[in-house]
Amino acid sequence: MTWSVVQDIAANAIVAVAFFCFIVVFLRNMIGLAQLLIAAWVFATRIEPSEGARELWQRYADLALPITMIAPAYNEELSIVESVKALLALEYPEHEVIVVNDGSKDDTMGRLIAAFDMYPCERTQVAQLQQTQIRQTYASRRFPNLLVVDKENGRKADAANAGLGFARTPLVCVIDADSIIEPDGLLRAAEPFMHDNGRLVAVGGAIRVANGCTVKGGSLQKIDVAKALVPRFQVVEYMRAFLTARVANAQTGTLMLISGAFGLFRRSTLVEIGGYRHDTVGEDLELVVHLHRHLREQKRDYRFAFIPDIVCWTEAPAALKGLDNQRARWQQGSLETLVRHRRMMFNPRYGRIGLLAMPHILLEDVLGPPAELLGYLVLPAAALLGLLDPMMAVAFFFVSIVFGTGLSVGTLALEEQQLRRTPSARSLIRIGWAALLENFGYRQINLWYRIQGVRRFLKKDSTWAAVPRLGFGAD
Amino acid sequence: MKIFSSGLYETVVLGSAAMAGVVVVIFLLLVLRRHLAERQVDANKRIDAAITRSYLRRVAGHRPETDDTGWTDERRLAAVSQIQALLRGGERDRLMQIAELDGLLAATVRRSRRWRRSERVNAIRLLQRFGSELCIARLRELMARDRSPLVRVEAAFALAAAHALPPPRETMRILRMTDRAPSRLDSALLRASVPDYREQFVLLLEDDLPPVWRAQLIDALGWSGDVAVIPVLEKAAGDEDPEVRGAALRAAAKLGHPGAREWIMAALRDPDANVRVQAVKASEALGLRDAVPQIRDLREDSQLWVRLRAEQALEALDPGYDTTARPPLAPNPAPDLSNCA
Repeated sequence: MTWSVVQDIAANAIVAVAFFCFIVVFLRNMIGLAQLLIAAWVFATRIEPSEGARELWQRYADLALPITMIAPAYNEELSIVESVKALLALEYPEHEVIVVNDGSKDDTMGRLIAAFDMYPCERTQVAQLQQTQIRQTYASRRFPNLLVVDKENGRKADAANAGLGFARTPLVCVIDADSIIEPDGLLRAAEPFMHDNGRLVAVGGAIRVANGCTVKGGSLQKIDVAKALVPRFQVVEYMRAFLTARVANAQTGTLMLISGAFGLFRRSTLVEIGGYRHDTVGEDLELVVHLHRHLREQKRDYRFAFIPDIVCWTEAPAALKGLDNQRARWQQGSLETLVRHRRMMFNPRYGRIGLLAMPHILLEDVLGPPAELLGYLVLPAAALLGLLDPMMAVAFFFVSIVFGTGLSVGTLALEEQQLRRTPSARSLIRIGWAALLENFGYRQINLWYRIQGVRRFLKKDSTWAAVPRLGFGAD
Repeated sequence: MKIFSSGLYETVVLGSAAMAGVVVVIFLLLVLRRHLAERQVDANKRIDAAITRSYLRRVAGHRPETDDTGWTDERRLAAVSQIQALLRGGERDRLMQIAELDGLLAATVRRSRRWRRSERVNAIRLLQRFGSELCIARLRELMARDRSPLVRVEAAFALAAAHALPPPRETMRILRMTDRAPSRLDSALLRASVPDYREQFVLLLEDDLPPVWRAQLIDALGWSGDVAVIPVLEKAAGDEDPEVRGAALRAAAKLGHPGAREWIMAALRDPDANVRVQAVKASEALGLRDAVPQIRDLREDSQLWVRLRAEQALEALDPGYDTTARPPLAPNPAPDLSNCA
């Protein structure tokens, strides 16, 4: 083999990689545009919850399916009392709160016992789904609808499963203990079940970043936008994810993720599949994919719904330290789920889930990040070496950066036109500015974190580092 | 190397730039709109207060304000909506008459004919607030003839809130209820109309309806507030369909009349677990102390949900019941009855 042949092979390989990167990024953005347009149509034609229906709902409160809120808590001594008070105060005809203390090393349990006058009680576990030992259950003398389950440490999936086992209501809402639920968030999330004739399995809701907001007593007092850039970038990401992608996916029957921070499920269906899996770091994605698989294999008529209104606020990592772990974990979780349910991929037996949704996850989470990151390096290099038309490198830049900015700003416009939950014009400008800036550094760093997630997946790394929290109000 | 022509890349570049440019312009316009709205907050508040004051004065018989600059129909409607919630009786009627004279009702009726479904639904909500004969007529028209099933249901809810739903047979026909499985909103609609149409509900039960819908009608009878339906419920409690039997027990629990005592206690031995659960709940609702021995036996029931419900009922019915001394409630792979338990 001569040197020139080697050069030709190398050149062809570079060109092939460049084209692959271009096509992947182009496809991702086209799907993003389609999602934005579908979401805009959904928002434009949706009917907001009616006062009349709500009045009747209140009059016939027993028609509202009772809900159990399951809040796994690990080392939450600083905020647990306020969080539980906020959960107990939610507007809903009948709801129970089950706090699962997942073997906290701090005084989470002690704070709960003291604040709510808890005493040891016998409570039958309807289904045993957790893998760790339950130490004790506690009832409250002051709040009959509060139950605390004290168990050995086993991560969030195990804690949620323990709570699910104790739930007796038709619906369960799994949340993070530090999530801030909107006072009527539960009512709004449960509303699709009022229209349902038995097909609805789960409802997801929009989640927003609470960094920069004023939070007192576990509830949101004032909405604002964080001054720091990292949380602001995440505001843009959350809006893109929840106001366009999830809305469009729910509309097309391809909703594959209901966030672990807030999800309302039919209890019986979750128990049927054994609850959350313990051996994945992306248990929320795995759960929904597993539900799709189970229900399709059983040939059951079902649907998932998504509420575009904000139902929950969560604290996002305030700095890159913390974000790195979170994003790598998300990536690792996606890959674990894809591999576990690989037989669904391109499989017509699973309908649009197998033919559209799973390939979309493959494109978005497996091919997308390396293709985009590689594209930033390979395309300009190939153009400079004369291997590619320089216009292709320029087109790549426009598709990834300019078009991407357009999608983000489009989501912001949608939010302002339809929801108006951004507090002021000034805040809108600040988020809009972040939507532009995120393309220059933040987005590429994120891609790098996701590559780290791929590495962790290949190494079968199962360590789980908690995302550092500053607490609400810190900026 | 060229696989695609430069022209294609140029199209991609121009397309991306155009898309981003259009979106950014729309966003900036929205920001500008918000900015202007923020600047006019105080002025808008003043206008809204003046409109509210003016309507209150007119309701009290005073002269209307002469300066009505910026008093759009939308603002007037918002003010009327707010005020009407605070007024009662004659004052409320006068306010609605004045609003009609101002052309607000006509504007709302026009809105109820718009192409966009969400616009029609918003109009329905306003018509419900007006509540006049004309509004009710328009709501009935929407319920009967609108092309969107959602709008028809929305109109039905507005009519239910105004106690103006048509008889149940008509409601069920118009909303094509029996063509589908009932939702909880259907239950709410039926419950809302039962106080006005109790006899029609009883007549409807003689029709050949699917059991799920018979159960809905039986359930609604519990909300009639009329103990004369107890014999109807008793008959339903002997129905061959467990869903109908369960609905009869739910209705009896809602009525809370001791006349249902005998057949509620008999239902504690029903072969269907769902019915037993409903019987336990009804016993608890009626405070049937005589049922305590039978409910105690249900702690040994083969179905977990029945055992759980029996435990809860005993805690309420039997003050001497010791919750710590109860037998263990081992989980079993029972059918899920959490909907009824």
